[in-house]
Order: sequence, then C-alpha cells, then structure tokens
Amino acid sequence: MTAVTDPAGFLHFDRVSKVFEPVDRGHRAIKVIDDVSLAIGEGEFVVFLGPSGCGKTTLMRMAGGLETASAGRILLGGEPVTGPDRRKGMVFQAYSSFPWLTVMQNVRFGLKYRRDVDAREKDAIARHYLEMVGLADFAGFFVNRISGGMRQRVAIARTLAAGPDVLLMDEPFGALDAQTREFLQYQLLEINRRERKTVIFVTHDVEEAVFLADRIVMFSARPASVIEEIRVVEHIPGERALETKTTTSFFRLRNHVIELMREQARRTEAMFAAEGA
Amino acid sequence: MRALFAFRGQTSQRVDWALAVVAFVGFLTLWYLIAYFEVMPRRFLPVPDAVIGALWRMSVEGDFLSDIWVSIARVMVAFALSVAMALPLGILMSSYRIVGALSEPIIDFIRYLPVPALVPLLIIWLGIDEESKIAVLWMGTFFQLVLLIADDAKRVPREFVEIGYTLGARNWQILRDIVLRGMLPSTVDNLRITLGWCWTYLIVAEIVAANSGIGHAIWSMRRFVKTPEVMAGILTIGVIGLVTDQIIRFAHRRAFRYL
Repeated sequence: MTAVTDPAGFLHFDRVSKVFEPVDRGHRAIKVIDDVSLAIGEGEFVVFLGPSGCGKTTLMRMAGGLETASAGRILLGGEPVTGPDRRKGMVFQAYSSFPWLTVMQNVRFGLKYRRDVDAREKDAIARHYLEMVGLADFAGFFVNRISGGMRQRVAIARTLAAGPDVLLMDEPFGALDAQTREFLQYQLLEINRRERKTVIFVTHDVEEAVFLADRIVMFSARPASVIEEIRVVEHIPGERALETKTTTSFFRLRNHVIELMREQARRTEAMFAAEGA
Repeated sequence: MRALFAFRGQTSQRVDWALAVVAFVGFLTLWYLIAYFEVMPRRFLPVPDAVIGALWRMSVEGDFLSDIWVSIARVMVAFALSVAMALPLGILMSSYRIVGALSEPIIDFIRYLPVPALVPLLIIWLGIDEESKIAVLWMGTFFQLVLLIADDAKRVPREFVEIGYTLGARNWQILRDIVLRGMLPSTVDNLRITLGWCWTYLIVAEIVAANSGIGHAIWSMRRFVKTPEVMAGILTIGVIGLVTDQIIRFAHRRAFRYL
C-alpha cells in the first residue's frame, strides 16, 4: 500500500468553511462546510464518504479550484489553490467526456492545451492511457456509441493524460450498474498502482469506499465536518484484489462504517425533526 | 404497418418518404379536382398545370429568374449579417452577465415590435434601395436569433466547461473548443428555422417597395388578377424553402454523426 510520504500534507485543507449566500434576501445563508482541516499525503487515495448533499463534493471541488472557500485555505504542494488548472484533474459522474469527439480524440483532448509536448508525443501519451484503460479497440468510436462504464474510463484516461498532481473524482461510478462498477473500481486501483496519483474520490457507497481507500474521511450531514477518519490500510492488510471484498476483515470494516453512517442518518433525522417542531 | 399508427411508433426512412409523396400527390389531386370542377371560379383557383404554365412563361418571357436570384441574394446577405452578429453577441450574453444584463431588455423590446410596422421607418431612413430591404430582414431575424443562440450556449453542460479549465484551457479556448462546439448542433437547427422567417420578411419588404424580387413579381401580377402567376410566385418560395431546409438537414446529419 502507498505510504503517506509527507506528513504535513501534499494537499492540505486548512480550516476550510463554506457558506452559500442566498440569491434573494429574506432567506438564510446555508453553511455547507464547517471548519474542515485535513492533510492528504502525496500518492494517498482518500475517499470522502458522507450522506448525499452533505457538502463533500463542494469540498472536493474547492480542492480543484472550481469553488472558493468562505474561510480557510487549501494548499497543494505548499501553494494556495486559487483556481482550476492542469494540476487538478476532474472526473465527473455525468457529462464526463465530449460527445462530439471520438474516444481517442477525447483522451487526446487532455493534452490539447499543453505547449511543452509536440503532436507526436501527444499521440503517444494518449495511446498509452487509452491502452491502460483497455479501450484501444474503441479508439475511433464516438463516446455515445459506447457504454456508460467505457465512457467513465475515457474520462479517467483523458484526465491522466493531462498529467495532473491530484485526481478528483466526483462519484464517477455512481450511475453504473453493480457489475460494471465493481470492475471499474478494480481497474482504478490497478491503474493507480502504476500512476501513484493523489486521489480524492467522493462517494456515498460504503463498500466502494472501503474497497478503494487508503483512508476514508467520513463527513457529517450538512454542514459537513469530519466525524471520523479510518485508515483502511490498518484494517485490511495486503494488496487489494476483487477477492478482498469477501474477506472477513473487509466485512468487519464495512459493517463498522455502515453503522457509523446509520448513526449519522439518525442524528440528521432528529435534527430535522427538532427544526420542524 | 402497425407501427405507423402506434403512439410514438418508429418507422423506416423509406416509409417516411413514401408518406411524404402520398401527402404531396393527395394535395395536388385535391387541388386539381376543386379547380377542375370549378368549386371556386377558375379565375381565382386555376388548375395546377395553368400555374406550371405561368411559371414557365414568367421565367422564359419575363425576368422571373432574375427576380428569384435577387430575392435569394437579399436573404443570403441579410441572414449572413444576422448570424455574423448574433453568434458572437449571443455567446457573450450567456458567458458574461454584464453583456446579458445590458442587452437583454433592449433585445426583448425590439423583438416584440412587429417588423412590418418598422418598414415605413426603415424606408424613410434608408430609402427604397437594397439597404432598407436588408434592414427589414435583419430586424426580423437578428433579435430572435441572438436569444436562441444565447440559450444554446447556456445549455452546454457546466461540466464540459469545467473539464476545459482543469485541462488548462483559457476562457477564449473554452468558448471556441467547448461552448461553440457543444452548442453547434442545436444552433444549426435554430439557423435553419430562422432562415425560414427571413423569407417571410423578404416578401413583406418586397411588396411594400421594390422593383425586383419574388415579392415584387407576385404583387405586380396581382394588379392584373393573374392568379396563376401569383400562385406560381408563392409556389416558388415554398420550393426554395423546402430545398434549403432539406439541404441544411442533410448537412446537419453529416456534420453531427455522433448524435
């Protein structure tokens, strides 16, 4: 398993809060993220887990420079994140690739705005990542002629081709069927074993979180704050494979996390009930 | 066969073509019968072959062919002008709130003015030459088109734009490679529809003040109650419209094979 190489954090959330101001006066501002501090090591695979709408996606988008913090700051490699750029690659759940481009053109699009790489090298890099996600045979197809799972692999290949420092994934497998999802989870681990990227992966699927993560960061319901960090590596030793999902240690950890999630849901419900009263 | 009558049923393209021909032939037959049995006086509703004959005479003996050409040229110039202005402005309106907020009220106001009401004013300002006709067509299409285009640009998914940013694209590169590219199919559709409106305003402009063009030809034949000639003129516009529409549809299918 990848070790955390930089204890101070390669990607550092420093007391980050986010408040959404209402568009119209007379409505309350909503606090979505409440004072989150988090240090992510270089090459670490971190999963953000939490109930839907809790603000975990917003937090990840802030790391990508797509959202600004209301308070606090985010540092990547020691420098504050001020906006989106090539260092922070994004994989979305939907609209993850361009329909007017073929599979190959989509992957190559990841390198389109790089001036330091010549055309032939761009072709080579795109081909390399296309093969890595196993889509070389589909290079000439338009992306809406291939399956949803393949489309997500195209997005992953494109993002990696751009050569980012961090990979930000917003429920990338959320819309896929169970089998495809499992296959892609495994493939993502395989790919990242070679690429060793720093990853933030957002999901609300516990099994997915436990299977993929070096570390799970569990968030409370809105406003999101960290309620628990779980170093999965300490509970599930050894290299992960599909069989890992049927081991006792995997089960035990999964059940533990599910229990935490349920407790969180109960608390949220109680909170809403109190608000309603 | 059953698919033809099923709610939202699917048929092949060949069946669609056959149905189009059936509808067309049916329409002609009905017309022929009504005219032949003089349900309406022949003077007002000539038989189809009289209209074809009139078209032939106008083209060979008169200068209807040059009228057609003049009208097409007017539409092309005015429409090109509209598109050249509406495309950049529409995209900017949807991309920068300042442009949108400044231009939307004015555009909406002008958009609601009936173009025929503006014709007298445009003639006072621009005379009865080509300028006033181009202006009428431009007024009729530009203000509609710019809003349609702004809408097309707005409908490009936010994710596409964000992908662009995370790949290091600058604003203008995102506009060119992602927004413009992403909106293109629906924009071409909108252009096709507005081009049709352009023909409506052309006839308005040519009837009011012109000494050439299809509208002028139709209007001058009316004075002598030459119904076949008038109908021939109308028919010509229909055919030109149908043909351009089909050409654009075909180009759309070829250019956007991924849809």
